[in-house]
Amino acid sequence: MASSTTITQQKKPERSLSPWQIARRKFVRNKLAMISSFFIVLVTLMSLSAPFLAPVLSPLPDISKVNISAMNIEPNGEHLLGTDKSGRDVLTRLFYGGRISLLVGFSATLIVITLGTVVGALAGFFGGFIDSILMRFTDFVLNFPFLVFVIVLNTILYGIVDGLWVLIMVIGALSWGGVARLVRSKVLAEKENEYILAALSIGCSPFKVITKHLLPNVISTIIVQGTLIFATMIVIESALSYLGFGVPQATPSWGNMLSSANEPDVLQGKPWIWMPPAIIITLTILSINFIGEGLKDALNPKSLR
Amino acid sequence: MLKYSIRRLLGMIPMLILISIVVFSLAKLMPGDSLSGEIDPLNTSPEYIAEMREKLGYNDPLPVQYFNWITGFVQGDFGKSTRFQIPVFDLIMEKVPNTLLLGVTALVITYIMAFIMGMYSGRRPYTLGDNAIAGFNYIMLAIPSFVAAVFAIYIFAFQLNWFPFAGSVDILVEEGSFEYYVSRMHHVLLPAIVLGAMSTASYTQFLRNDIIENSRKDFVRTARAKGTPMKKIYNVHILRNSIIPLVTFLGFDFAALIGGAIITETIFTYPGIGQLFLESVTSRDYPTLMALTMLLSFLTLFGNLLADILYGVVDPRIRLD
Repeated sequence: MASSTTITQQKKPERSLSPWQIARRKFVRNKLAMISSFFIVLVTLMSLSAPFLAPVLSPLPDISKVNISAMNIEPNGEHLLGTDKSGRDVLTRLFYGGRISLLVGFSATLIVITLGTVVGALAGFFGGFIDSILMRFTDFVLNFPFLVFVIVLNTILYGIVDGLWVLIMVIGALSWGGVARLVRSKVLAEKENEYILAALSIGCSPFKVITKHLLPNVISTIIVQGTLIFATMIVIESALSYLGFGVPQATPSWGNMLSSANEPDVLQGKPWIWMPPAIIITLTILSINFIGEGLKDALNPKSLR
Repeated sequence: MLKYSIRRLLGMIPMLILISIVVFSLAKLMPGDSLSGEIDPLNTSPEYIAEMREKLGYNDPLPVQYFNWITGFVQGDFGKSTRFQIPVFDLIMEKVPNTLLLGVTALVITYIMAFIMGMYSGRRPYTLGDNAIAGFNYIMLAIPSFVAAVFAIYIFAFQLNWFPFAGSVDILVEEGSFEYYVSRMHHVLLPAIVLGAMSTASYTQFLRNDIIENSRKDFVRTARAKGTPMKKIYNVHILRNSIIPLVTFLGFDFAALIGGAIITETIFTYPGIGQLFLESVTSRDYPTLMALTMLLSFLTLFGNLLADILYGVVDPRIRLD
């Protein structure tokens, strides 16, 4: 064994670590972030495999069916987390709910990051007239009372398009302002560097300069911001669903499940119905935030850890 | 300074006009209109309905309708609520004191909690107490406000019976009496704690970092060299400097409180602006909905403006013009 390693070492002189490798090492050493990543992966896997897991774990794997004979059962050996007021298994709904909550969170984040990066990069790179137009528009979006407009827009579009995608598009379209500002400020600082001038002077098109030279240098900020936005989006989805303006009631999502706590009777006497979604929402948000902080540390070349 | 404020105030006008157009279009796009609320519900003859449609201006071209609405709006005529059959202005005014009480109480709670925790952490950084506060704040920041509200109701209202779980006042007490005000405070406290706890975390961490930063400055060394007790240095010299930046948070809190109030008021069934807004959406009460959306947008804009102006007022190094 020892000889083989020496041979490979002779063949390839040891290369210094790439920035991504350094970041990965720092991240792996961060215990809190690693535990959180493990938790998120677990939740994601369980949500994705809901159709296969449900029949194994519960005698009532069908989440759309109302079972009058099995209403409000307390947690027991058969129903690990009990059943809700329509006789649906809470654990099964938790798995299916995770699919929706994570899907909404992820898609909305994707929209926010894409829109924000495009607007921010264009505004920052071109400056002048384009910058002021785009930034006025960004201010406009940022100044909207977010929740108010999401609720009104969602009510209008409801029924025209499939409910889930309405929600994703609306919260995506209304929350990219912050990312745009952040990316713009980063691009503004980055484009003063000589390598950008060099790239421009040898005739690179603006598109190429932005995608090949500017964005790779801004990407770490965007990744960190994206993680934190992912958490925010999950909160927004569940808050809206809780209020009854989010995902359609028939589809289980964590927020929809929690909304049963609106009834004082359920809130007071049947905690097994609303506590699991409340706890899993909180843990998910907390984990994502820890991952975000871990990434921020790992991707920051100045941090020593 | 004054010039800047006036310029920013004038700059709000095009924004408000834009928002008003968006609000109007949204209300027009929403399914159904408020006609049925304005007419006599018992008279169903098509001629009568058509006549009333014409008379109330529902057949006018949209720009005319918009113009009629906005002129009335600017003059304080918000229209008539189709749900309650009373002027929207009165309806909103009836709920404003409740929301105001909730918002102010929440702010007071935020400040008190942030000051106690921030000053403690700032004075003893990197100790067990500081880390515990940081951990607590981190969790408070991560828990969504509605989850916190649900848990708060479950624990403090149902399990411990410390607070009522709904409403803004006991029905049995007489209005104006001492018990009435006690009951109101009692009802507002739990939602206010939940709402206030949302921003406490960022306030605390900010105050802590600022105190630590200030404690390394020259004026602190001078004060120590002259023999000022540490307690006085922290409570007078440093705190005075560290409070200033906190003031700017006030403006941003405006917007946060508005969004938070919608959720908190609904969960606690607290009769305020936020609850009225959600009800007006579900019951298709368009005049109320439009007026409230405009009002909330205005308040958000105003909060952002306030934050910018306060920034310049408390820190003269920042030049606003």
